[in-house]
Amino acid sequence: MSPIINGFPRLRGLKMKADPRDVNTGVYYIDGDVAAGQGALAAGCKFIGGYPITPSTEAAEAFARVAPLAGAMFIQMEDELASIASVVGASWAGVKSMTITSGPGYSLMMETIGFGAMLETPFVLLNIQRGGPSTGVPTRTGQADMMQSRWGSHGDYEIIAISPDSPQEMFDYTIKAFNLAERYRCPVMIMSDECVGHMTERVVIPPPDEIEVEPRRFYDGQINEYLPFKPDENLVPRMVKAGDGYKLYITGLIHDERGYPVKNEEYKSIYTKRLVDKIRLNKDKIIEIKEEETDDAEIVVVSYGISSRVAVRGIEKAREKGIKVGSLRLVTVWPFPDKKIAELSKTVKAFVIPEINYGQIAFEVERCSYGEANIVLIPHGGAGVHTPDDIFHAIEYAAKEKKRIEGIIEYKTKLEKLIFEEGFKLYE
Amino acid sequence: MNPVITAFDKGIEKSGIEPSRVCVASDIPFEPEVVNYLGIDFFHTTRGRSIAFGTGLKLGNPALKVVPFVGDLMTIGGNHFVHAGRRNMGLLVICVNNFVYRKIGGQPTPSVSITFSPYSTFEEPFNIPHLANSCGAAYTARWTALHTDELTNSIAEALGKQGFSVIEILSPGPNYYKGIKEIESNVINFYYENSVIKNGEDPRNVGINPEEKIVVGKFTDKKRPTFIDSYNTQLTKVLGDKFIPYGGKSG
Repeated sequence: MSPIINGFPRLRGLKMKADPRDVNTGVYYIDGDVAAGQGALAAGCKFIGGYPITPSTEAAEAFARVAPLAGAMFIQMEDELASIASVVGASWAGVKSMTITSGPGYSLMMETIGFGAMLETPFVLLNIQRGGPSTGVPTRTGQADMMQSRWGSHGDYEIIAISPDSPQEMFDYTIKAFNLAERYRCPVMIMSDECVGHMTERVVIPPPDEIEVEPRRFYDGQINEYLPFKPDENLVPRMVKAGDGYKLYITGLIHDERGYPVKNEEYKSIYTKRLVDKIRLNKDKIIEIKEEETDDAEIVVVSYGISSRVAVRGIEKAREKGIKVGSLRLVTVWPFPDKKIAELSKTVKAFVIPEINYGQIAFEVERCSYGEANIVLIPHGGAGVHTPDDIFHAIEYAAKEKKRIEGIIEYKTKLEKLIFEEGFKLYE
Repeated sequence: MNPVITAFDKGIEKSGIEPSRVCVASDIPFEPEVVNYLGIDFFHTTRGRSIAFGTGLKLGNPALKVVPFVGDLMTIGGNHFVHAGRRNMGLLVICVNNFVYRKIGGQPTPSVSITFSPYSTFEEPFNIPHLANSCGAAYTARWTALHTDELTNSIAEALGKQGFSVIEILSPGPNYYKGIKEIESNVINFYYENSVIKNGEDPRNVGINPEEKIVVGKFTDKKRPTFIDSYNTQLTKVLGDKFIPYGGKSG
């Protein structure tokens, strides 16, 4: 076995517990945004540069309120362009950093997200998705930034994206996002949505010794031998802090291991390949999915974020009717669990994918199932969520439908049937 | 560029600051990469974001001396300049103004008053020291690249400041001055001979006008609480002992 598959030998023993100063242990009744703010603090985040935007503001507010008590800094920057640039800067100064935004702000940040990926900068970005495109519906939900999170900045790069579905998960997975960012030196996106962000539930913040946080993997060798982009066996280079005498040369140009710009074809391939491979080759260790009753399932519902909460009842109803339906919840959306989908596609008849957009993750499921299973997409325009019945009916439909290999089958929600098939008149 | 880098090097030496504590953030297309040879950390950021990136570096580690070392920063990223001034963020902006976007083909910049575009420039240029001062900068100065001693002193002085400092340096971008006889014949000395030193001049009066001599000098030097000072003062007032002051006194 190659050392890459063997895991993180050097990382063992690196894990540490959260700093008690950063953890507000207790049982709370808070919304997802606030839980994410608390999660960031518990993960050891010491810098958030943000710019207010609905519906993500509460997360920044929650962090801003507690930051001064934990030696952390929240700064409201002049715009999202500045927020993301300051976050990359703070990370190079040696602190864990994060920014929080939603649709329009996310679009503004794209250039510097690519810069962060290029510089292999660990940072976390919380996107509380809202209805788009453009200003869209600021106060209501959407899941239409999923592909943007993967492909939004120009050029080849890879990021990690996580999609929590409850306030408790907003806390837990914000910590996980920081840990992944440190381990793989890459931007990690928490692709939440307005519903999860504004959903108020019980959140348990455990004592600090039950929270595992990953410290930055600083270089510990000779100062003169340091190469900022020399990868280890997991393809991830070690980091240092700015101002420590390493004579860093850090640029968004394609660079060699020393960090110096290079323009030739060979280096372009070497560098870009490692940038994508450090995520792609480590994806088995990164991906987290939640699987339920998929073993003998005829239909599998693939869902993430708020859609997976709605799907729970839809799946229950289908089971009550005797349909063998399993659930595959994508906690990690990027990198995509392609092997799992390919494996399931050999045994299931169809995948049912509810998502609050007109088809994003459904295309990935289609790609990874190689025409072996029907793909039933339940699209939703946003500003609301599916009803459990929408998902139940789609499952029923998928169970009856014969196999066809002609691309994605769109199954309309009750609302869409009403609007587009039954002549619903909005202005009468 | 060379005299500017030399002045920067000597300025650091004169200020007594350890070069390894100085971090230069530049952006595209202006790249003073040679500072790396001075033992300084060099960050080449996205277009126009050197001040925003520098703000993050500074707040991440307030002990650093962060220098956004940039070309004309009044278009892309101009907003960051305005707000860094307002906050009195502890950055030293070295703005090397050569009136053209040299690396991308000689297009006019927003602080140009003489011009190299086919039909000349007719837009009103920025007066950088005045803009910096009105935004709240603690220190403003302008020199040409050939005022080496004055420039060195200014850099050393500004590195010792805690707040937002701006030094504009007029430096030639000779490739694109062709066709303008007065400059073309003697590029190196053009600015130097056409400038007049007026220390303490009101920045409102230092706009660059091709009809008149260019005013250079150290214009303003104010004492204002920096961002980190204000942050610590305000939060100590509100939170008292519970507050953990940020970054010590180096803000």
